[in-house]
Amino acid sequence: MPGLPTSIDLDECIERLYRKELLAEPVIEAVCAKTKELLMKESNVVHIMAPVTVVGDIHGQFFDLLEIFRIGGFCPDTNYLFLGDYVDRGLFSVETISLLVCLKLRYPHRVHLIRGNHESRGVTQSYGFYTECARKYGNANVWHYFTDMFDYLTLSVVINDEIFCVHGGLSPSIHSLDQIKIIDRFREIPHEGPMADLVWSDPDPERDEFSLSPRGAGYTFGAQVVRKFLEVNKMSHILRAHQLCNEGYQILFDDRLSTVWSAPNYCYRCGNLASVLEVSDNMERFFNIFDAAPENDIHRSEQQAQQNRDSQPVIDYFL
Amino acid sequence: MVEERIMNSRSAPAVPPTMHAAVYPTKRPQEISVQGFRISTQKLPILKADPIEEMTRKLGIAPPEMIFGDNYVMIEHEKSGWGINFNSFDALDRVDKTGQSMLQVAYSKEWQKSREKTHEGIKEVVKPFDWSYSTDYMGTLSPKAPPFEETSDPIPIELLTRPDPILFFDEVVLYEDELADNGIAMLSCKIRVMPERLLLLTRFFMRLDNVLIRLRDTRVYVDFATREVIREYQSKECEYEKVRQTLANTRGDVPALMRDANRLSEILPLVEKRSERVVLDG
Repeated sequence: MPGLPTSIDLDECIERLYRKELLAEPVIEAVCAKTKELLMKESNVVHIMAPVTVVGDIHGQFFDLLEIFRIGGFCPDTNYLFLGDYVDRGLFSVETISLLVCLKLRYPHRVHLIRGNHESRGVTQSYGFYTECARKYGNANVWHYFTDMFDYLTLSVVINDEIFCVHGGLSPSIHSLDQIKIIDRFREIPHEGPMADLVWSDPDPERDEFSLSPRGAGYTFGAQVVRKFLEVNKMSHILRAHQLCNEGYQILFDDRLSTVWSAPNYCYRCGNLASVLEVSDNMERFFNIFDAAPENDIHRSEQQAQQNRDSQPVIDYFL
Repeated sequence: MVEERIMNSRSAPAVPPTMHAAVYPTKRPQEISVQGFRISTQKLPILKADPIEEMTRKLGIAPPEMIFGDNYVMIEHEKSGWGINFNSFDALDRVDKTGQSMLQVAYSKEWQKSREKTHEGIKEVVKPFDWSYSTDYMGTLSPKAPPFEETSDPIPIELLTRPDPILFFDEVVLYEDELADNGIAMLSCKIRVMPERLLLLTRFFMRLDNVLIRLRDTRVYVDFATREVIREYQSKECEYEKVRQTLANTRGDVPALMRDANRLSEILPLVEKRSERVVLDG
């Protein structure tokens, strides 16, 4: 496998990104191309070992990502598993995904990235990442490099053969891990089928089985589905992200499933807490809870401009 | 936050994380009194899991993803006992809970078709309801409020376009949902209080991508001196594609305009309009 161009020093890229500096367009192109080669070799079900710190949705909240490293430890001292939804909605999707991709390349066995429903061309065109790329680079090239790379992200990770990790949830088409392994994942996230379900579905604690979403597309999965999936695959827990929780996490189905949410004060206005889940050597799970990073305050006016509302709303003579 | 970080029996990390003051937009109630009218607002974070569960039980439907259940905007007139407040529970209680006016996402047909072969067993939609959270909520009146009467009197725009000083201004979101990344539904209130009058606008805005755009505005106008209150409700909606085509003929950035409720309000056709008024006892 050919290396990165000699002009690109990954450690330097990571240093710059920690300072929130953007990488040049050709650097992003090379880094994404290299990451693709790396990801291509990963299975749809990647097996890793604890200890590992698991991170839920970040959504471009770059300062809060840095806060996660301050709280949970920096790479490579702490192993990380990110559950997807790196981009859209926040102000710094480009910086966030640039840093995560560089860390993945630099420490491929200590950093793992799962695909979320926002790692897609369709969704990022509506929810901010496309616009942010075009604004920060003056064209959409960087968006193309990143979204082409997204097609290679894995769909699931298993920790110590015990914890199944995925962005959204289970699918009626999937009973065993082998059925995930045969999905042709190197593509845009489809609207239907097992690949869509893995990144989109939600648990429903009131139900036992799969149900149709009232939206006319997608499933929710209930207690029996979770129990059976774990039994068939000889695992003890499902760990996913995808849904906002005010407390930063939520545990359902008699501790058989947890949701981890890592974007504090989501969209700069929800006031929610966030967490990362630390899985220790002996498979104990600990939610490390955190609040929005203080640096977010510096960008108050930008947040207001983007979100168009805040605690100090812009006074206008509306009619 | 210290106690929450160390909630399990496990010890705190070796290097304790720094503690920060909350930076989220949390505020105690804010208020102002002008000529016998008291105006107050409250903005707090989204609800926690337990209150959400309770709300779900009381409403009979799952609340939106971002539910600001403690937020409100309130106008009260002490002397007459009149008062109106805007809160998320009462607004959501007016959402269709039967599924009769249920919309479907743009790719629903395609989805249904492709899935039928494999999972015919899964037929059930869990408690169908209007998941777009469309509401015709016009506010909650105090029990003692004298009734409104229908009127053709419009809200006096000319008095509201004057640059009178604004004594009090707030914008309060009551709920918001991203429709599982198929658009947006949001209910929010804006209020501005001038020395002689106030205007409140509660707006429900819903964009279901490639399907529909819907806007429902409730305006409350109060003239402090005459104690006249006018409440006006307007509902507008249009197919998504028609709106997109209309905007494509202008020179603007179409995706940005499709997110701009003010701009959309100018081009969406009117579906329904109602006006009513009441003069309060001094």
